[in-house]
This record gives sequence, structure tokens and C-alpha cells, in this order.
Amino acid sequence: MSALSIALKDIQITLKDRGALIQLFLLPLLFIVAYSAVAAAFEAGDVDARIPLPVVDLDGGSEAQALLDALDMAGGVQVELIDEGEAQQKLEASEIARHLTIPEDFTEGILEGRTVTLRLISHPDANLESTEAVRLVVEGVAQDMALESQILASLQQMGEMQANAPPEYQEAFAAEKLISQAQSQFTQSRDRPLVTIAQSVPGQESEKEELPGTAEVAVPGFTVLFVFLTAQATARSIYDEKKLGSFRRLMAAPISKASLLAGKIVPNFITALIQVAVIFVFGVFGLGLLGFTPVKLGNDPLALVITILLIALCSSALGVVIAALARTESQISGLSTFLLWGLGTLGGSIIPYFILENMLGPIPRALPHYWANKALDDIMVRGMMLADVSLALIMLLGFTLVFFVVGLWRFDFD
Amino acid sequence: MPAILEVDQLVKKYGDFEAVKGISFNVDEGEVFGLLGPNGAGKTQTISMLTGVIPPTSGTARIAGHDIRTEMNEAKKINGLVPQDLALYPTLSARANLNFFGRIYGLGGKDLKERVEDVLRIVALTERADEAVEKYSGGMKRRVNIAAGLLHHPRLLFLDEPTVGVDPQSRNHIFESVMRLNRERGMSIVYTSHYMEEVELLCNRVAIIDEGKIIALDTIKNLIALLGGGVIHVGLERVDDGLLERLSALPGVEEAVLMPQPAPPPLAEQEDPEVKEREPVTTTPIIKVVAVNSQQAIVNVIGFLNEQDITLTSLEILEPNLESVFLHLTGKKLRE
Repeated sequence: MSALSIALKDIQITLKDRGALIQLFLLPLLFIVAYSAVAAAFEAGDVDARIPLPVVDLDGGSEAQALLDALDMAGGVQVELIDEGEAQQKLEASEIARHLTIPEDFTEGILEGRTVTLRLISHPDANLESTEAVRLVVEGVAQDMALESQILASLQQMGEMQANAPPEYQEAFAAEKLISQAQSQFTQSRDRPLVTIAQSVPGQESEKEELPGTAEVAVPGFTVLFVFLTAQATARSIYDEKKLGSFRRLMAAPISKASLLAGKIVPNFITALIQVAVIFVFGVFGLGLLGFTPVKLGNDPLALVITILLIALCSSALGVVIAALARTESQISGLSTFLLWGLGTLGGSIIPYFILENMLGPIPRALPHYWANKALDDIMVRGMMLADVSLALIMLLGFTLVFFVVGLWRFDFD
Repeated sequence: MPAILEVDQLVKKYGDFEAVKGISFNVDEGEVFGLLGPNGAGKTQTISMLTGVIPPTSGTARIAGHDIRTEMNEAKKINGLVPQDLALYPTLSARANLNFFGRIYGLGGKDLKERVEDVLRIVALTERADEAVEKYSGGMKRRVNIAAGLLHHPRLLFLDEPTVGVDPQSRNHIFESVMRLNRERGMSIVYTSHYMEEVELLCNRVAIIDEGKIIALDTIKNLIALLGGGVIHVGLERVDDGLLERLSALPGVEEAVLMPQPAPPPLAEQEDPEVKEREPVTTTPIIKVVAVNSQQAIVNVIGFLNEQDITLTSLEILEPNLESVFLHLTGKKLRE
């Protein structure tokens, strides 16, 4: 009851603080809009938006070269020749998302009318949409090539047969017969294509693993960043209470220390939940109205709710740590800036975590923001379910417990 | 009268520093008890321990029989604290502040509403109760601060320096409120201050506290009686051997003692140009003469010093009040 009274009082104070309201609810939306606008500009073609496609050419023949030229002309992909070993190495190191291999007998097979197989190998974390786009481009180009080759070979064969045939059989080579033959060849090439594409993902952990696009991570990333920023409000509220002297008055009242701290934590928790609701409503409806891609909330509402609750709880616990460690207002500001913006940046709230991992290795994994971002991305962008994000949730819970223990251990009630 | 507060050898230490050095006193039911001492004497620390804000290092106290070490929660329901700080939320109205503090003490509904109106009447702020506290004058804020401590009808109220930074009108209002609460509601009050006038006006008994210790505890009348027939401070150019004994033997003089000299600043500070520019601290000795009869003592002391050819550098006759008692007991002024 006392904790609830303290919480309600703090919410009442927050509602009267316009600066806090702007920081809590307007600032995240401005960041999301700005970030989405930048991402949209990139996607609109201000830069080369073609998907890079490293190609390993084991054939080196005329048909392989024709395929490479056709792929480059087709648009959508940017062909780069690469050695087989280098391709494998770069794929393992996540330096490339996928590569195409032209087999040794490609030219020979095409010319003989045999079916040959191109291999499209993609990284487990590669963006599925991009991989699918590459597959469609390669498939289209290869089919055109094979069809052209088959029809030409067929017409050549029929020409030779016509030249050698007796006059009474010339009727068999009439124009309508040739057209019929070409159509049959066309249908056959569709049903039994000369070029097929075998797609594989080495060491694939999950079919759902998918690197999100830059714009897609804006809403989850900034949600995590700003929910954690509410920790500063908790710390400041506790500091203000001590500075005012009201903390002393509350300590003199018949309420437990636990109720007192709970009363200071609950408002932050509720504020964080309202903040998430505002961001998500804006992400789903507002972004569309502004001409950006609306955010998806994934396929598992329960997983989303649990993740949000855990992130809010972790943020509240971090607020207690800041309040316990900082002695002055400037220490709160300094510590908050370092912990919340610093960890947010390194944990993938601004630069996507999968890009940071390529640059920093496992360092981001030591931060709560990383697991919060990963859990939200997995649920919202990749459509994962509760069981799929259990590791991230366990890590978040662990961070929350550690923060509470450190916060209570270091908290100065005197 | 039974004691509502019994303090027994209360100690508060911070590392090696002992802020409160084993103090003991009792406050009777219905009494207004003063804790008088300069800033930093240990008054707030003592009150903080008695109200459960900080735990004592050793010793204990009983509030209406409840030991603060084992039954603090029960004790908290009996006492109320008006802290020295303006412990209010400035952006909320006085009424919102009082509603909040009332709920903290488990009040609610009609009862809370009535008590809020009651305390607003006591501090005469009913008409402006819905304005944000930040718009109030310092005195009005102090009055709300007091009102918040009264909501749960405490039997024992701790008022910690309640008039700091208050205009004379609000100060008088606070005095009237304290006297009315004591007279009409029988509330026991522990009133801390470094203003001796306030303590003299309001309190039945006073404990004078300095450097964490109670150096005197009695009724105001008895404390002033410690000054005897009066106290005279006599500044001299020199103090010869045996002078104090001879002064003590003069008719009308009970005792003559040398006052402690203020220590000179450290050498490093003496080199500081700012320190050098300051008026030098007088180092002429001052003798405190406790008189049986102050008029007779002054005449005899001045005559004796003339005979000895010792020049007087100053002469101060202390008024019979608590300030003089404090100076008499500690050699320091209350507001030093």
C-alpha cells in the first residue's frame, strides 16, 4: 500500500514535468523517424543498392561467362568473381552473406543439353529476403540462357534434318511445325530446366535466422535504448527525494525499506511500459502515415509482452544501481550517460548488434542491451516464438537480478 | 508524569568519528523538551536515531515503552518528525503533499480528508492548499512541513530546527501552533534549535548539547541559575602567576577561571594572503568571573587589577539567559 502510494505520487510528479514527458515519449519517436528516414534514403537508391553476389566460376567456359554477363546485366545483383577458398573463408567469417558457384561442367552440360546445377550457398544469418531475391535473379537469368540454348540447338538440329530430308518429307518442316517444336521445347525447359539452383546454408542453426534490415531494427533498437534511459529517471527520483529531505521523512514513517524502494521502482516500470506502448503504436500506425514501413510485432504476443516486462524490470534495477553508486547530481548524469547511452550504443540499439558483433566480437554479448535488442529483433523482425528467445530472456533476467543485488548492497539509506 | 521518551546512552559513530557520544535523557508525557546546541552539535543525529531514520551504533531509547532497536515500527506510529529540510514535493500542492504523507501512515478515505483539513487549519493554509508548494514563501513551506508531521496524530512530535529561514510572522505562527498542540492536544514535543530565544519561550526543560554530549539538562530557570549572581568576562593584557586564585578570593566572586584561547591558524594558512589580510584574532587572555553578586564583584575586580597595574582590554557582563549559560559552560557562542 505504501509502495503504491509512493509510486502514484512519483507518477503525479512526472506528469507535471514537461521535460521528462518529452524525453520519455516524444524523443524516442523523433529518433525512430530520423533513423527510418536515413534508412529509407539509402534504400531509395542514393547508393548502389544492388545485392553483392560473389561468384565462384569453376567452369571458366563460354556459357559460364555468358551467365556472368547476363547476371550483371539483369540488375539487382552486383557480380564479383572470387576464389572458392576465399568465398568459403569469407562466408564463415560473416564477411559475405552468400555466394554462387558455377560447376566445372557448366558449359559442357549446357551445350549437350544436360541439366547442370548452380549452387547458391548462404550464411545462416543472411537476410532471407535478400537471398530469395538473389535466387530469383539467378534462376531467371539461367532459365533464359538455357532456353535460348535449347531452342537454338533444336532449330539447328531441325535445319540439318531439313537439309538432308527427301522432298516428300519437306512438309514436316513447315513453319507451323517449327513453331510447335519451339513451344514444346519452351514447355520442356520450364518443366525440366537445364539449369537448376541448389540452395544450401552451411551449419544452419535455424531456418528462421535472418538478419534484419537497417530500418526494421529502428523501432526495437530505440525501444530498448529509451526503456533503459528511464533508469536515469529512477536514479534521479531517488536522489531528489534524498536532496529534498522527504526520503528522511519516509524513513521515519512506519514503512519498510523494501516498500520504499519498490515505491521508487514501480513508477519507472510503469513509465517504461507506457513508453513501449506509445512507441509500438507509433511504429505500427504512425510510421505508415509518414510513408515509412510500419513495424511488425511478430507472431508471439506473449513472448513480446514477457520480453518488454523483463527489459523494463532490468532498466528499473539498473536505476537502483545508479542511485546507489552516484552521490551527486553530476555523478548521476555522468553515470547515466556512460551506462545508458554507452551500453545502448555498444549493445546494438543504434548500430544493429549483428554489425557490432562483426566489429567487436563477443563484447556486445556482455551487455543487457544486446540481449534485449536480440530478443526484440528475434520476435518482431524474425517472427520467432517464446522458446526461440529463451536464452536472451534468461540473460536479461540474470542482469536484472545482478543489478538488484548490487543496487541493494550499495544503497545508502542513511 | 510518565516518560514518553527514555533515551539511554545513545551513540552514533561514523568510522572513527563519534557524532553522538552516549547521551541520555527523558521526556515526560505532555512536556515540551528543548535540545539546544550549535550547528553540528549532534541534535539532528539524535533525532534521526529516535525516529528510525538511522540506526544507533549503541545504546537505545524507548518511545511509550517501545524499544527503538526492537520495536521501531510501533515507535514510528507514536512519534512524528518535522525534519529540518523542507521535505515536500515542490510541484505538488500542499493538499496533494499532505494526502501523500497521510497515506504513507495508512490513512485513507474520509478520515484522511478530515485530518488534512484539520492540519491545514492548524497551520492556517486552508485557503491556499491547492497551490503548488513551490509558489509558497519560505514560512508557508515550513508550515506545510509541520502539518505533514501532524497528520497521524503523533503523541510525540520531533521538531528539528523548524524555524530556519522563516520570516518573523511565520515564526510566530509556528510558535503558536506548537504551544496550542501541546496545550490543547497534550502532544509531547522535542524541539531542537540553535536559537535560545525559541527554546526559552517554548520549552519546559532543556538539554544543552555540544560536540555530541549533553553538557547540561534542567529547567530553564535552573540552567540560568548556573550563572549564579552573574558572569563577567574580563579581558586582560597579561595574567600573572597566582592572579586567578587572588581574584577568586575577592568579596562577591565565586570563581575566576581563564577562558580557553582560540587556536591560531596553522602556519600554512598564516602565509595565505587572504588570512594575512583578515583582522588578527585577539590573543589577550580573558578571565571568566562567576559572581555571587555581580555589582560587588565588578567593583572589587577592577579595583584589584588597578592595584596590580594590569590593564583591562575588555569587560562583558553576560545577561542571564541560555546563550550565557552555553557560553559559560563551553566557552563558545551558540552561533559560532
